[in-house]
Amino acid sequence: MIWLPLYGLFYAAATLYWARVAAGLNGDYRTFFSAGHSLSPWISALVLAGMSLSGWVVLVGSAWIGREGFGLPVLLQAGIAFALPGVFFFKRIWLLGQHFRLSSITELFRSYWESEFLVAVVAVVATIFAIAFAGMQLSAMSGLVVAMTDGAVGAPVAATLLGVVLAGYVIIGGMRAVGYFGAVQAVLGFAAVVGFAGFAVIETGGFAALNAGLARMAADPAAAGKFIVAGVVQFTAGAGREAAAGHEGTALASFSLALALMGLQASPMALKVVLSTREPRGFAAGQTWVMAGAGGALIALCMACLGTAALIDPARSVGGLLASLSPWFGAWLFIGLLAGVQLMAGLALLVAGEALVRHVYKPWFHGALTSHGSVTVTRVVVAVLALVSVLMQQLTPVTLSMLGSLALPLALQLWTPLLGMTWLRWFTRPAVITGVGFGITGVLLTEPFGIAVLSFLGLDLPWGRAPWTIHSAAWGIAANLAVTLLVSAFTRRRGFGDEAREAQRFIETLLRPGPRVRALRSTAWSVALAWLFLAVGPGLVFGNYAFLGPEKAWLLGMPSLWGWSLVFWVAGLGLVWFLSYKMEMASPLTVRIPAYQPPPKLKPDQSAAERTRLVAFLVTVAVGFSLIVLVALAFGH
Amino acid sequence: MIPASPNIERSILIFATWAVLGFLGLGIFLEGMERDLWILSAAGVAVIVLAFVAHIIVNGIFDTGFTPGETVLGIGAYGLLGLVFVAAAIGGGMTMTDYYSGLMLFGTLAAGFLAYLFTRHGLRGAFSRFHFKPMAEGEGSP
Repeated sequence: MIWLPLYGLFYAAATLYWARVAAGLNGDYRTFFSAGHSLSPWISALVLAGMSLSGWVVLVGSAWIGREGFGLPVLLQAGIAFALPGVFFFKRIWLLGQHFRLSSITELFRSYWESEFLVAVVAVVATIFAIAFAGMQLSAMSGLVVAMTDGAVGAPVAATLLGVVLAGYVIIGGMRAVGYFGAVQAVLGFAAVVGFAGFAVIETGGFAALNAGLARMAADPAAAGKFIVAGVVQFTAGAGREAAAGHEGTALASFSLALALMGLQASPMALKVVLSTREPRGFAAGQTWVMAGAGGALIALCMACLGTAALIDPARSVGGLLASLSPWFGAWLFIGLLAGVQLMAGLALLVAGEALVRHVYKPWFHGALTSHGSVTVTRVVVAVLALVSVLMQQLTPVTLSMLGSLALPLALQLWTPLLGMTWLRWFTRPAVITGVGFGITGVLLTEPFGIAVLSFLGLDLPWGRAPWTIHSAAWGIAANLAVTLLVSAFTRRRGFGDEAREAQRFIETLLRPGPRVRALRSTAWSVALAWLFLAVGPGLVFGNYAFLGPEKAWLLGMPSLWGWSLVFWVAGLGLVWFLSYKMEMASPLTVRIPAYQPPPKLKPDQSAAERTRLVAFLVTVAVGFSLIVLVALAFGH
Repeated sequence: MIPASPNIERSILIFATWAVLGFLGLGIFLEGMERDLWILSAAGVAVIVLAFVAHIIVNGIFDTGFTPGETVLGIGAYGLLGLVFVAAAIGGGMTMTDYYSGLMLFGTLAAGFLAYLFTRHGLRGAFSRFHFKPMAEGEGSP
């Protein structure tokens, strides 16, 4: 077939064009990492929505619905779940970034919390996103290439080609290429979602036929469970240990998955886009109308249509549709999907590269590295990360999948330091650091990766993945918040440096709530908690039967949970609008942000300390590796 | 802070417009020819015209016209597709629906292009876009 290579060439040419434009504007390296903080608000809004939605919606969300039905209705609220963290954090993080003239969340954490542990956590999270989370989606894309070319192009070749194109434009153009081309990729990705859904509905025979097919399934007792939430919670030992009654889609499974989804916009990638934005004008509009509105509609309508079409007939899954469509449509949809996946992957690669080089390697081991040198080393690291990802896609797909599933729950653990910087300024440094440590432990102990590692070392945990049908993100954040609150109570007013105190003063002065906001606070809490309870929480069980008539007839002509989700998507859109504009959490701000002038400090020669640190690091790695091997040999299996 | 050039933002919008509407229109047009459905091809042409309209709206927002590169690309693509159409017509493998579809595409694009030139530059101005006086007749000649 000629169309896929033709469209692929067009896409590759477009990426190189934008990489060249970006490199020219970067002056080769000067604004490589942050695009000179020049991204327009509308570009940022599109990039943020595109990285959150486009690949995930088609590859993950629709596949889940196509397999399991409506058991996790939170998937249909993902647009709102993605938007809420942005409403909470983006404006305040942007203000802090501007005030301190910093361009990444790693630098902000180092400045505010003075914690190298948090810096390392951010670097690890970004790396997992770059290698594994994006790698899983790129691996799925390689599989589609193999299917679309009837095996003429093998998976390794496809993965390599996709990896080269991806790494190429990131290495050449940096953040500017990711931002500029990302806006195009986001639009292409959204168009592909609409296209996939449209073709799925057409192939099924129309929306009425789609729902008729679902009704036939729901009437079959063997499949009826796919149309209901399986209770509020089930106290099982977790997947792999003890099967849940019916299925694992309980209301608390939905709630905890919503928390995991909220990790994405607290991830270093989303905050990188925020900190590269020129002005905060677009955050409210972006989160409300682009993310929760347009993105939410894509999810609640298009993703649902695509998933349900596959639920009725698995041949109408994404792969099946691409195979059955005319080649020009198949190629166009594939490129749209690829654009969405590469948007997220490109951003993740850049952020991981920056975190590893600028925020870990340079300050710890090579302080004399110049700006130009940092960009060069980052380019090398981006290439290496892309290579590792491609190799893992082909050689160790199970490990890749286990690592990838860590990305969202680990990113959620960054909520506590973010909350401490922006809203809950009484969170103390020791509390946040300890909390994040406990949160990560909670995630690892309830994720297949952590369970497998412990099993390898000889410790078999008595539970499996997601015990009590609760996602690891919730286990982690519960431990994280509990420890943070507890330690904060014991360490009040301790542990803040000059920058942290200045940040607190700055935020407090600039964003003092007016009388209207203060008056609306209780309303905001009530509305938000009600939405959380009904849309993604225990109230989901009401959705099982809310729109059922006599003899279980569907009053809306669609499954009750789908109708329930649509109602609460609209309500969620209202909530996001209310919080963004009326509560002024993300509302536009037009004041000039003064730059913080730090007190002058002497910079002592660090070269000796860096050498010592490097030796200590290498020794630690060697000893740690030896210990792991010894433990595995002694107790492992 | 270096503000992004308006030209960059315009280019992003133009890329996005054509990547979505252009390729969708082309796909629907080809689908019409494949299925021998003239109405489907007409819908494809309508989507391509919509892409042009969106392009002109973006130009209006940024207070500019088509760039030389866009003009060359557009006319080049038009010529290339026209050549393919003529070659296919000479080959004799086309149905009447294919003829009508092709003629409608090229006719609509040509008419739309002329309408754009006349409305933007006026009759005389539109002619001047293509008519360059030799240097000897220009103001700069001795």
